Amino acid sequence: MNHNSLFNVLIVEDEPELAALHRDFIEQNFQLRVVGIAGTIEQARTLLNLHQPHLVLLDNYLPDGQGVELIASPWLKSLDCSVIFITAASDMQTCSQAMRNGAFDYIIKPVSFHRLRSSLERFMHLVKTLRHVKVVDQSALDRLYNLPTINTPSSPSTKGIEPTTLGKVQRIFTDGADISWSVEQVVEKVGISKTTCRRYLEYCVEMGFISIEMQYGNIGHPRRLYRKKAAV
Amino acid sequence: MRRRLSFQVKLFLSLVGFSCLLLTLLGSILYHVIDRQIHHDLGQRARVQASQIALMPGLAEKVAARDIFGIAAMIQPLRNQSDASYIVIGDVHENHLYHSASPERLHLPMIGGDNAEVLQGKTIISMRQGGIGVSLRSKAPVLDGNNKVIGIVSVGYLTSYIANINTRQLGQAALYGLLLLCLLFIFSWMFSRNVKKQMFWLEPKEIAMLVRQQKALLDALYEGVFAINAEQQIVLINHTARELLDIRHPENKLLGRPLAEVIRLPSAFFSENDFTSTRSHHDRIMVLNQRQVIVNCVPIALAPGDESGWVFSFRDKNEINTLSSQLSQVTRYADNLRIMRHEQLNWTATLAGLLQMKRYEEAMHYIQSQSADAQSVLDFVSAHITSPALCGLLLGKYVSAREKGIELKLDPACQLTHIPPAISETALMSVIGNLLDNAVDATLQTHQSSPVELYISDRNQELLIEVADQGCGVEDAMKPHIFEQGVTTKLSDNHELAGSDHGLGLYLVAGYVHQAGGSIEISDNQSQGTILSVFIPFSSDASGGEHYESQLAL
Repeated sequence: MNHNSLFNVLIVEDEPELAALHRDFIEQNFQLRVVGIAGTIEQARTLLNLHQPHLVLLDNYLPDGQGVELIASPWLKSLDCSVIFITAASDMQTCSQAMRNGAFDYIIKPVSFHRLRSSLERFMHLVKTLRHVKVVDQSALDRLYNLPTINTPSSPSTKGIEPTTLGKVQRIFTDGADISWSVEQVVEKVGISKTTCRRYLEYCVEMGFISIEMQYGNIGHPRRLYRKKAAV
Repeated sequence: MRRRLSFQVKLFLSLVGFSCLLLTLLGSILYHVIDRQIHHDLGQRARVQASQIALMPGLAEKVAARDIFGIAAMIQPLRNQSDASYIVIGDVHENHLYHSASPERLHLPMIGGDNAEVLQGKTIISMRQGGIGVSLRSKAPVLDGNNKVIGIVSVGYLTSYIANINTRQLGQAALYGLLLLCLLFIFSWMFSRNVKKQMFWLEPKEIAMLVRQQKALLDALYEGVFAINAEQQIVLINHTARELLDIRHPENKLLGRPLAEVIRLPSAFFSENDFTSTRSHHDRIMVLNQRQVIVNCVPIALAPGDESGWVFSFRDKNEINTLSSQLSQVTRYADNLRIMRHEQLNWTATLAGLLQMKRYEEAMHYIQSQSADAQSVLDFVSAHITSPALCGLLLGKYVSAREKGIELKLDPACQLTHIPPAISETALMSVIGNLLDNAVDATLQTHQSSPVELYISDRNQELLIEVADQGCGVEDAMKPHIFEQGVTTKLSDNHELAGSDHGLGLYLVAGYVHQAGGSIEISDNQSQGTILSVFIPFSSDASGGEHYESQLAL
């Protein structure tokens, strides 16, 4: 049925033109229905009570207060309504507050419609999944709520890993299979920065290519050394 | 309004009043005892005299013969020797034969009516109204050869005479009493004066008021206050101090206990001889019960140069930091507004220009680039760090570093999905926060804007946090000591608290990492700067790093 797949959205934004723009964007592209536009916190409360929307696009700076305070209120949580929090680039501190209070997503002004689209898509996906999957186990739930993680194009481990550099690092260990290497030695051999080197070494450990061993040196200070794992 | 007597006068008056009462009571008891004793003594004396007179040879015959002149001649010498008021001889019919005091009563009957027993042969002592007044007297029978009563001898002391003796003795006693009273007056006055002096000339009510005031004052203080005596035992601790240091015991259970037992002090607290010297100290940063506080210390000296204790007051360091940062934020805010307005104008002008030239694509791109940076950091952090609190911290550090003109580079491989059970989220925040602050401060000292790099990874058996900066670096000689309290590489004069709060961040980091059984490595970054790597094991069975301060890989 049609109304089943329509979700109610409330826009809280004190700039009427921007609010109208958001409404048009939302209603044109998604199965979402904008049930109201609130210009103040007070109006937002009234409309939230009236329509019980599924999603709120919440601007932070409003004439009678800050949107972040609305997220913090337990009253909003009881409504079972997701929040996409919108704030200015100069106000990222507030974003961390919104994060702690469990906003669904955070968008920095000026709003990129591209970013807003992906956020709304994730929301639709979340709600639909929740509707269809009546019983969800914890890991499925975690995955749902960590959608940004899943949305990143490749597996997070390979981020910042270049095949050529990885090859150079791995060659050191295959060449000196029975030698334990310190970070400094690897840095010297490959010619990368220490911070980058650590990333590659951790990646290799994760892949099970090398292992860490602790060397309790002559002064008694343990050092981390890396060594090629014996082939199974 | 009625004028109230001062405590000293009251004490004096009550002392005097009470001693007067005591003296009077003692006097009256003494008087009664003496009075009774005198009566008894005189009665006995009268009896002896009466008996002896009755037995005088020749008296019986003279009485029998009613020889008035003979009797008088015989008794008169005795009378002259005796202290008795009178001596009376009577016949068996109770008529006077001789009366030493009033001879005109001769042949008249004896007065008193106490002769019946005497006539039966007994000797008596009685107190009666006689012919010449009330008297204490003894009567003895005069017997003839056949033991038959033929007369009465009466020897008596008038009460006026007894009273006379009493008065004399009382007079003497009163004299001594007066002397005692004088001494009492002097003693009481000096005693009350001395007491008053010890109470600083204050009235007890004023003292009670002061004590109550002091209690109220201490509890109203927003600062924590505690005082110790010369033996380093707690003599006072207020509510705020207990709250700030998380001491659960009530005040009365803490009093008298050694300070070190109640509060975990830095090891050098007393041994430095810093606090136990005559000078007072201001705004020293230290860690009490794992809490960073700013301590003031003032010695209590009863006499100049003779300390008998110390008073410590302290504030939470974080509060001070918040205050000062709020203060500096306000001043920065005005500047920011001015700059932002300027930027905004430029921005709109550019946009207007692009739109007028119908370069819509470029306009779009221009608009989106404004938020892209911040958005990407936000998305990156929330995608790779699952703890919302840590996300908030990293975001906050990112912004505050940017405000100082330093970029916080988050390594693309950053990942934190779970926190080691051995460390709390708050402690982990403190570790990361302090490491980042240190790196930013070290970079600021070089007056270059090289980035600070952060790498967090929970992929392997250990949580790895690596913070790299290209700042001022740490000299090799300093490295073993960098985790000790108070050690710093920062210049002390570029901070609002005059360098007093430096040297704590890494000390706290080391403490938390040590508790979690982890280790810290410090090494030089390439070209310049420092890399600090923190390893916290995920398995809880990892042995506590005992040498965490010195686990250095150089």
